[in-house]
Amino acid sequence: MVREKETTLYIGPQHPGITGNMMIKLKVQGDTVVSASTHVGYLHRAFEKLIERRNWIQAFTLLCRFCVPEPDPMELTYARAVEDLDNREVPERAKYIRVIVMELARMQSFMLWYAGQSGSAGLYLTPQWSVGDRNYILDLFEDLTGGRVYHMYIWPGGVRRDIPDGWADKVLRTMDYLEKRLDEYNKIMFDNTIFQKRAQGVGIVPKDKAIEWGVVGPVLRGTGIRSDVRVDEPYEVYDKIDFDIPTQEGGDIWARALVRKEEVRQSIRIIRQAIADMPGGAFYNKVSNPMKWTVPAGQAWARTESVRGEVGFHVTSDGGNKPYRVHVKGAAYTHGVTVLEKILPGQNIADVSFILNSLGVCPPEIER
Amino acid sequence: MNDLIKENKLLDAVVSAFKIEGKVIRDRRVEVLADKNMVSSILLFVKKQLGYIHLAHMTCVDWIDQGEFELIYTVYSPVDKITIFVKTRIDRENPEMENIDTIWDQANTYEREMREMFGIEFPGLVGEFEFILEDWDQIPPMRKEFDTHKYAAETFYSRPGREDAKDVREELNKRSGAKVPDFAKKYSRE
Amino acid sequence: MENDKNSQKIVDYIRNFSRKHSLFVLAYGTGCGAIEIPATMTSRYDAERFGIRGAATPRQADVLLITGYLSTKTLKRVIRVYEQMQEPKYVIGFGSCTINGGMYYDSYNTINGLDQYLPVDVYINGCMPRPEAVISGFVKLQELILAGKANNGEKYRENLEHYRTNQKKIIKNWKMPDYNW
Repeated sequence: MVREKETTLYIGPQHPGITGNMMIKLKVQGDTVVSASTHVGYLHRAFEKLIERRNWIQAFTLLCRFCVPEPDPMELTYARAVEDLDNREVPERAKYIRVIVMELARMQSFMLWYAGQSGSAGLYLTPQWSVGDRNYILDLFEDLTGGRVYHMYIWPGGVRRDIPDGWADKVLRTMDYLEKRLDEYNKIMFDNTIFQKRAQGVGIVPKDKAIEWGVVGPVLRGTGIRSDVRVDEPYEVYDKIDFDIPTQEGGDIWARALVRKEEVRQSIRIIRQAIADMPGGAFYNKVSNPMKWTVPAGQAWARTESVRGEVGFHVTSDGGNKPYRVHVKGAAYTHGVTVLEKILPGQNIADVSFILNSLGVCPPEIER
Repeated sequence: MNDLIKENKLLDAVVSAFKIEGKVIRDRRVEVLADKNMVSSILLFVKKQLGYIHLAHMTCVDWIDQGEFELIYTVYSPVDKITIFVKTRIDRENPEMENIDTIWDQANTYEREMREMFGIEFPGLVGEFEFILEDWDQIPPMRKEFDTHKYAAETFYSRPGREDAKDVREELNKRSGAKVPDFAKKYSRE
Repeated sequence: MENDKNSQKIVDYIRNFSRKHSLFVLAYGTGCGAIEIPATMTSRYDAERFGIRGAATPRQADVLLITGYLSTKTLKRVIRVYEQMQEPKYVIGFGSCTINGGMYYDSYNTINGLDQYLPVDVYINGCMPRPEAVISGFVKLQELILAGKANNGEKYRENLEHYRTNQKKIIKNWKMPDYNW
């Protein structure tokens, strides 16, 4: 038997199949990967050092840029950690608005995942449809906050401004339209034999090792473990809203895709309930002098569920008007480095990009 | 009203097994303060015996006035739904801490980042030294004595006219001799 | 054999006209701004009606779109990619971080302005620019190409010493091939 030579291959920073600016160094033998190692650091901006030089309120402009495809969970987690330290109450109406914003962010990030996952399998029609539909959600964000991608809307104490007139009806109409479109996406991606054959049995994350490796989010729910921060540690008004947590057995790419497909329908359900139940009242518990605001000393840890998994913020304050230390755990921190290096050996080279998209690796979160 | 039964039970179990201090901060948050030699035994105890199997986060805070680094390990139990912080302090001049990636594999990434950003030594840590930065020849950058603005101003070329933070509208009006309109005056800094 | 002035003008016009309607953009998301590129290329803001589409490798690309800030680690790879592209080549600086450093002006890892390291044709400002702004930036590049003013590939070649001194000041471990065009 001829033993093939081992070659080094760089799936490098400039590549049409990776989900951001990162590098994977592979050792391959023929068509099979023998070992992999992740190199990150191409997007390092030293956020945590920059936040230490800004006030509590000025730091808020930097937060949305931590995770580029889905900026809102970062703002919400920072706001919750600071409210924990400062003992600040949030009005009921603000909590409902925050829930609606988070679920809309989850839907638009799902559309981007959808485009990436099928694009790496060679189905180029689905990005045109889903990114085109994503623009309707970004229109809603633009009416509410003024910006399509970076919102800077959720402050410690509430939200920045109230919802405009007629926005709630627009949201409901967009949800009706998107629900019909989700059925059409099934026809072109989920019922497609090529996608099914490529996704079943590939990139398996074992159930008994998943929590040890630090797997969170839909990847964990795809292995059969039922875990979601919105249910385990309910924040805002998720304990008053009725929704399901989909789980699947198997741990391969197909199971994770089915979990995500069902989650976005639950998001539509949550948004409809939140709009129906929203009370009137104040939307912001005003900070009296934001530029000179001091937060009492202590440490706080807050978690929320983004589309990729659990996002955590550890905030330390020494009683001054600037944060002493903010350390962020992005949802894909462990997926991109530990889990990827463990499940890539044995796969084909053509599946590397497919697995990357399925794990939801987002390099700006890993190196901030 | 939640009367913190589970949190107190957890705190008693850890404190009595290791003779250390701790307290319940609020519901779902418990902290214990330990010596740096006991940290790995405490983490193994809460993982194997009490079911705290998810290492959520590992962080380091630089207390420069006290001359110490504070390391905080955040561990979570999916069954009890409580988060416990295991906190320890190490010396700042020669920082060294035990390597826990035999307990959790993912701690490898956190420790590599701390080695690069703070200069903490973890004996036995396997992994390439450069994780995020490339060809870095200054002190570890997240330490409080590193001045990032000064380094950026010296190293990188910046466009002239951006050194100070003056208001753009007023400067342009001063140069051309026009007046600042009334609606813009409320944003003025002078 | 040299053309006389009038037929040279006709040849130039035809050449620039066809170049401006076929711009291949390299698939490289260097920073935050890469999130508005899928939106520009797909159904609502359709950039392909202007002739703009994606290319996979530097040898096949005309335009290098620097979407946002550049860390020093990425700058080394961007220089290498730029030197692999074949003339005529254009660079578009996208976002306010390429103009003056943006909100990361005091970061130890990001550069504060792109002009001294690579020659830039068009800047698009915003944080981040809307897809309509991106298309208007490309339209401005097309006007420059038609007028014959977008030849920064030659400018890089002629002033290579100047660019190299600036680049070597911040990239300390210089193990790159020589630029042989």
